[in-house]
Amino acid sequence: MDILILVIIGLLAGPLLGGLIAGMDRRVTAWFQSRQGPPIMQPFYDVAKLFGKEKMVVNQWQILCAWVYVIAAAISLALFFAQSDLLLIFFVQAVGAVFLVMGAMAAKSPYSQVGAQRELMQILAYEPVLVMVCVGFYMVTGSFSLGAVWQQDMPLLAKMPLLYLALGYALTIKLRKSPFDFSTSHHGHQELVKGVLTEYSGPYLGLIEIAHWYETVLVLGLCALFWHTNVIWMALLLIVTYMLEILVDNTMARMTWRWMLKRVWLVGMGMCVVNLIWLYAR
Amino acid sequence: MSNLLLLLILMPAVAALVCYFVRSSAVRKLTVVAAGVILMAASLGLLGQGAFEPIAVGSVLGISSDFLVTVLDFALLGVILFYGIKHKSVLIQVFTLAQAALLVWFEVVMVEHAAVPALVGDQLSLIMVLVISIIGSLICIFAIPYMDKHEEHLHLKKSRQPQFFFYLLLFLGAMNGLVLSNNILWMYFFFEVTTFCSFVLIGHDATEIATKNSVRALWMNSLGGLAFVIGMMLAYMKTGTLDISAILAAGPQGALMVTGIGFICLAGFTKAAQIPFQSWLLGAMVAPTPVSALLHSSTMVKAGVFVLLRFAPAYVGTFLSTGVAICGAFTFVACAALCIGQSNGKKILAYSTISNLGLIICCAGINTPLALTAAVMLIIFHAISKSLLFLCVGTIEQAIGSRDIEDMRGLYAKFPRTATITIIGILTMILPPFGVLMGKWMAMEAGADTNIIIVVMLAMGSALTVVYWARWGGSLMSSRKEGAPAEQQAVLTRLPLTVLCVGAVVLSCAAPWIYNSMLAPMFKVAPFTVSFGSLNSATGSFAVVPLFIALGLGVLFAAKSAFGFRKARIMPPYLSGANSTEDGTYVGPMNGDVPFSAGNMYLGELFAEGKLTPIFNVLAIGLIVLMLGGAL
Amino acid sequence: MFGSFIKKSRAKSPWIMHFDCGSCNGCDIEVLACLTPLYDVERFGIINVGNPKHADVLLVTGTVNHRNKKVLKNLYDQMPEPKAVIAIGACGNTGGVFREAYNVVGGVDKIIPVDVYVPGCPAKPEAIIDGVVLGLAKFAQKVEEAE
Repeated sequence: MDILILVIIGLLAGPLLGGLIAGMDRRVTAWFQSRQGPPIMQPFYDVAKLFGKEKMVVNQWQILCAWVYVIAAAISLALFFAQSDLLLIFFVQAVGAVFLVMGAMAAKSPYSQVGAQRELMQILAYEPVLVMVCVGFYMVTGSFSLGAVWQQDMPLLAKMPLLYLALGYALTIKLRKSPFDFSTSHHGHQELVKGVLTEYSGPYLGLIEIAHWYETVLVLGLCALFWHTNVIWMALLLIVTYMLEILVDNTMARMTWRWMLKRVWLVGMGMCVVNLIWLYAR
Repeated sequence: MSNLLLLLILMPAVAALVCYFVRSSAVRKLTVVAAGVILMAASLGLLGQGAFEPIAVGSVLGISSDFLVTVLDFALLGVILFYGIKHKSVLIQVFTLAQAALLVWFEVVMVEHAAVPALVGDQLSLIMVLVISIIGSLICIFAIPYMDKHEEHLHLKKSRQPQFFFYLLLFLGAMNGLVLSNNILWMYFFFEVTTFCSFVLIGHDATEIATKNSVRALWMNSLGGLAFVIGMMLAYMKTGTLDISAILAAGPQGALMVTGIGFICLAGFTKAAQIPFQSWLLGAMVAPTPVSALLHSSTMVKAGVFVLLRFAPAYVGTFLSTGVAICGAFTFVACAALCIGQSNGKKILAYSTISNLGLIICCAGINTPLALTAAVMLIIFHAISKSLLFLCVGTIEQAIGSRDIEDMRGLYAKFPRTATITIIGILTMILPPFGVLMGKWMAMEAGADTNIIIVVMLAMGSALTVVYWARWGGSLMSSRKEGAPAEQQAVLTRLPLTVLCVGAVVLSCAAPWIYNSMLAPMFKVAPFTVSFGSLNSATGSFAVVPLFIALGLGVLFAAKSAFGFRKARIMPPYLSGANSTEDGTYVGPMNGDVPFSAGNMYLGELFAEGKLTPIFNVLAIGLIVLMLGGAL
Repeated sequence: MFGSFIKKSRAKSPWIMHFDCGSCNGCDIEVLACLTPLYDVERFGIINVGNPKHADVLLVTGTVNHRNKKVLKNLYDQMPEPKAVIAIGACGNTGGVFREAYNVVGGVDKIIPVDVYVPGCPAKPEAIIDGVVLGLAKFAQKVEEAE
């Protein structure tokens, strides 16, 4: 019964928190650029407006893929709140990622095609890092199940600092922030228009936005687990992390997928391996 | 009981003879279908009777069956030697002669011919029999219409199908024999039969390249046979018995015996086409598609991993075990990397097969109950999904005349049924809650405990796998014109495709019960408990049925809204406003229409096959030497 | 409740797409100026998207000529309803000084229905923002009439 309540909380919290985070993100970004920025509620207005628009599609695959993306993202967050298996959560999340790519490839649009290929490169970059982080959790807690984290009396950050840094790469990619925002971004003007999202419109774009919020909350939730002992420190850790993300987003240029792949695989994976060796040696 | 065993091993051989000697196409078709149905029924019957202790096989016409096997063994080596001489392959000749010489010495000097029960049916064997008999039979049935079209395409004067189906059916019998044998000499015999059958089937089209590749397959597998003989002898020196059950019950016994098992593992590596032996499997893709499907999903290569799994208790906890795991994990990641650079559909399937076999072998090497469960789960679900995909590629190839995934782009427009089945097949390979991914999940959870090298390789391999499958699945999707003509498909083509597709989905959902009824009895301490349709282990849980319900309802809902897409406004893609009337084309120079064209990224500079293969081969040989040397 | 929230959101989240239909770049620079910190149109939820499929409002600058009229029509067709069109500057309104040129069709309204005309040569950013706000009121009205 408890689990059911947690799942419902998760399913509701995903879009609400995710939307608020997106709103604050835009506010803070505007602040960095000495602008005033939109209201905090702006992402909700955007999505509500999208749902009120006409349904327009290239073909049926887009509808299928948009729905599966949001459903998979919601289920992965629900599993997270149900304190399920970390690897399982990660794999369910991958369902959404794969469907997003396939939906983009279903349209005969050069922009979404190239976007899909780049999105695959992003998956290639962040997936191993996320798996390694899961393994790190296992090494510390002795279980892949999230429930085991709460039995630790020390913040996990103390034992896996490098894994947290590596997770930062995955977070930046998942949040679609510079320098890794080349498959799509929050800014409409790039050489790929909107990359994978170019051909989605109206309600289906709204669905994808909601799925993105779910994913944001999921990855931030994973970050939050690194300081599970104290709510205040947990909040502080998340705020600092997210502020750093925004800072990086605003100060970095977009890079190429080659740069990303090399950087994440060498530096990110390198940090993971070193940290895991510490854990094995323990 | 023994009647069923006879049916499973000998009936295919008899049916094969009928196919060979009765040169009527109607009789042949009937025989193949009947043999397939009987095999499926017999395998299910065997499952119904449950596991059984080793049993002896009596004599045939007054000749002891052991003696018969020995005679056939030498006859087979003679035939292989003949082909070695015919194709002027020194390697085949050397390996075969060495095998024969060692075998003579073994049989005459070393072995005390005590009666050893020849056949055994534990859980592993029963599962393998099911996989071989059901999936193999479906592939044979698929082959009937396929080979008609294939030969029509080749303009043959005289049909070569009798020979084709002879070896195809014989193969199934040999595989069943291999997985059921308890006498190590019997196992060796069936091992050699599969080697020979695969050689003939790969070279079936008798083109220059087919012959070349079949010879390569034969020499590599002969090397495996030689390793098997050496391993058998070394193990016998220590254990003094040919009884596999007895060897396994005794566990690892010192360096000599473990080295022997190491050689047998090496034989398994060659058969499972692990790096550096992958080239025979890649070359085998020249064969007609049913052969590739049979060899690479449910039989030949599974014989390799079966050998490793069968002997897993004999090397548990040794350095050899770690070595096997590292070799397997290396093949997993290396072949996934090589696969990224491929656009040939069959080559993608080949590399992904080797990669998955690597994962299974890695699990065998990790050698905990959890890992062995992962291995068996992977065997079952990989066989289903991969055979489905092979058959899909075969169907697509006959429809569009190409096996390149770039040419399959937008397949849904013309062949919606085949495209949809292929997409489902691809998804069952990479996504939860399907069986292959569940196996991968178990493998990762088992691997996390062992060795950091293995963990890193599994993580990277898994990411690479998603990339090459997802882009293939995505490129099949496309728009379809309203009222486009429906796809035509032969019944015997549609049947196996549909059965395998439905099977891949339904059996994945039934995984907890498959585990409970078939896998759990394999272990003293079962790695999982099943509750509410979830598999729970000490370290994690996979909510199979809940996920199936949640994701399934979600996908059904999504599919329902997708089916109503004609109610939405259909709008061609955005092309900076220059789009012309046709979907995806734009108005280009001189007001002419420029058609849509796209290509996947194959990351040539990072994952070039020619550049990476030699490096991987050297590394893999190093690892194998390490593995064998460490066993000493 | 959800319906009224959507209705309210329409006015709060106008995503614009800017199409330069052969302008002298004067108006274009003014359009982009709206995005700068000085005018900061994101305050009103306005985002400049690069794709008609995501856009609510089409801003057109410059004269329409025979070469690009089809592109303008295509872009307009690819925008999902409800949508509004705002013609900016003298050229977009009427064809401006190029009106009599042999290759010029005229103002934007010769090809697609225009909701708001923003005059000026070039139009001031304040006028453009004003035009967008007016456009939103217009399409809110259109939606209500359609219902």
